[in-house]
Amino acid sequence: MDIFSDLIMGLSIAITPINLVYLLLGAAIGMIVGVIPGFGPSAGLAILLPMTFGMDPIGAIMLLAAIYYGAMYGGTITSILLNTPGESATVASTFDGFPLAKNGRAGPALVMQAVASFVGGTVGVILITLLAPMFAQVSRSFGPPEYFLLALMGMLTLIVMIGENWRLGIISALIGFALGTVGVDLETGQGRYTFGSAELIGGIYFIPIAIGLFGLGELFYAFYQGLHRFGTGGIVNYENEDRFWPTRMDWISTRMTMARNSVLGFVVGVIPGAGATIASLMAYSTERSLSKTPENFGKGEMAGLVAPETANNAASSGAMIPLLTLGIPGSASTAVLLAAFLLWGLRPGPLFMEQNPELAWGLIASMYLGNMALLTISIFAIPLFVQIIKVPYRILGPTVIVVCALGTFSVNASFIELYIMFAAGIVGFFMRLYGFSAAALVLALVLGPLAEEALRQTLTISRGSFMIFVERPASVWIILVTLMLVVMLPLLNRIGKKAQMVKKLDAG
Amino acid sequence: MRPVTFTPEEKDLRLAFLLVLLAGAIFYTYVAFVDLSFMTRSGRLGPGFFPRIVGVAGVFFVGWTILEALRDRQALLVDQAGQRWSDAVLLIALAIGYAVLLRLFGGFPATVVYLALALSILNRGRYLQNGILALAIPSGVYLLFDQFLNANMPPALFDLTF
Repeated sequence: MDIFSDLIMGLSIAITPINLVYLLLGAAIGMIVGVIPGFGPSAGLAILLPMTFGMDPIGAIMLLAAIYYGAMYGGTITSILLNTPGESATVASTFDGFPLAKNGRAGPALVMQAVASFVGGTVGVILITLLAPMFAQVSRSFGPPEYFLLALMGMLTLIVMIGENWRLGIISALIGFALGTVGVDLETGQGRYTFGSAELIGGIYFIPIAIGLFGLGELFYAFYQGLHRFGTGGIVNYENEDRFWPTRMDWISTRMTMARNSVLGFVVGVIPGAGATIASLMAYSTERSLSKTPENFGKGEMAGLVAPETANNAASSGAMIPLLTLGIPGSASTAVLLAAFLLWGLRPGPLFMEQNPELAWGLIASMYLGNMALLTISIFAIPLFVQIIKVPYRILGPTVIVVCALGTFSVNASFIELYIMFAAGIVGFFMRLYGFSAAALVLALVLGPLAEEALRQTLTISRGSFMIFVERPASVWIILVTLMLVVMLPLLNRIGKKAQMVKKLDAG
Repeated sequence: MRPVTFTPEEKDLRLAFLLVLLAGAIFYTYVAFVDLSFMTRSGRLGPGFFPRIVGVAGVFFVGWTILEALRDRQALLVDQAGQRWSDAVLLIALAIGYAVLLRLFGGFPATVVYLALALSILNRGRYLQNGILALAIPSGVYLLFDQFLNANMPPALFDLTF
């Protein structure tokens, strides 16, 4: 019963007029971020984070969370109409989404993706509501050794998911760790890597690095790929179709698909490092293997669109569990969200829900409302998003640079941070080009100081002995789960890649 | 993503990027060992403990990657579809130019000048559209940051009266 009273309290906070405005604004911005190819939720969150500083923390967190899950809805519109995923988590939605549109069923595909996203997102939030307090309860016994191991688990799983470029993933993470050590050492007060600069005493802030890597780095890479030259000539014109709404058969045939993949997506989302992309590819592959007509997949099968859409939205909800209850982000997007929490002086973790019930339950309640808002927006505002897709990259590019630069400067009025942002953008471009992982760098930048502090505390407690990690039951459990994930995740990754390969072979 | 062959220039650039990383890793490790102590006077772990681990691991992994890259110069994966170095370099140059303009002329004037220049290069021939955008975007951004969010806009080193 406590959960329901907490949820009602959260709803009373989320339903204030100003918070509703922030929620709707976040949902709409998230969709816009989603429909722009090359920009994912991490880029959108990083670029827009500085704009939330003048806001009340609850409203700001609601807005940022809405951008995060709203991007999942928006990314599919381009997958269906343009055969270009708005972000990596919607790649699997192109497999059947675009063939559906080519077959004259773009309208039903757009509606069904919105409904599937809504179902996945809402089931995910219901599971958060039920499971987050339990996770928080379990993690209350955690001390520094467990926190260090959790940070290590987050990094290891992300690197394992990178696959054959794992060595570059480790280097990316080490760069993040190294940047995280700049500034005054809080335990001894000694400066590290500041080289006499007063601006570096407080350390290298997360925001310029995240904006540079995700905002500018992705933009430079998009230009390198020539996205600004392609235009949007291939967009499917859905306005002349006979039928916009799905048929009765569409609803009936995908009921179980939505149910199955909501749970699958959520579970994958909870695992640090796995995330929405793997969840959507796994869902597509699973649905195809369960289907009585697998030969129709890739040719415009509604279940082939609904499965990944449900899973990626459920996964984005699932990823909130380790963030809220352990303070460990499992992806670049949730790392940016964690940075937002930290900037407001909030520290997600086992006691977060108990010490900040208004914020935690307000956020969870807002996710129910946000999914409802996104369902409505993503069906009725499709013409608006089609117009946004048509904005050429050659105009978008210089504009994004302006927003990134002024957004970075607005945080601390620091030109040094502005230059760091531009430098991070150039480094981010080369990292993207040569297979390094910006997500691993950003995650390490956030987790590095936490991991260092936890490790030093742990070794102080144990008087320098690493045996402490195998003497505490909770630590042993985390080590076992980490080992299991390190073995299991490459297999999940392979399932996802297999789905992509099968699709490519079918297309060929 | 598929394995492809780099042009000789691209191989050199990739190697140069890795060498810059190696130099950075060596310098980071040097500072960690020379300037930062491993233990504090009270016998607790000092500020150099974590940087030494990170630095040594960095030198090891970057060195390993360089050796692999030298041995198999097609080792890394890059999607070459439609790549255009000149366009990316142009945009990077415009971004650096904008950083300089911001320092010199402040938020609003620098943004107008930068957008006018960037759009005239990237969105050629559309003079009216570019003119409107070069004024409308900075105005919108100014209203958002300066008026609505009450945030800091970069001040000018040389004041330009618009």
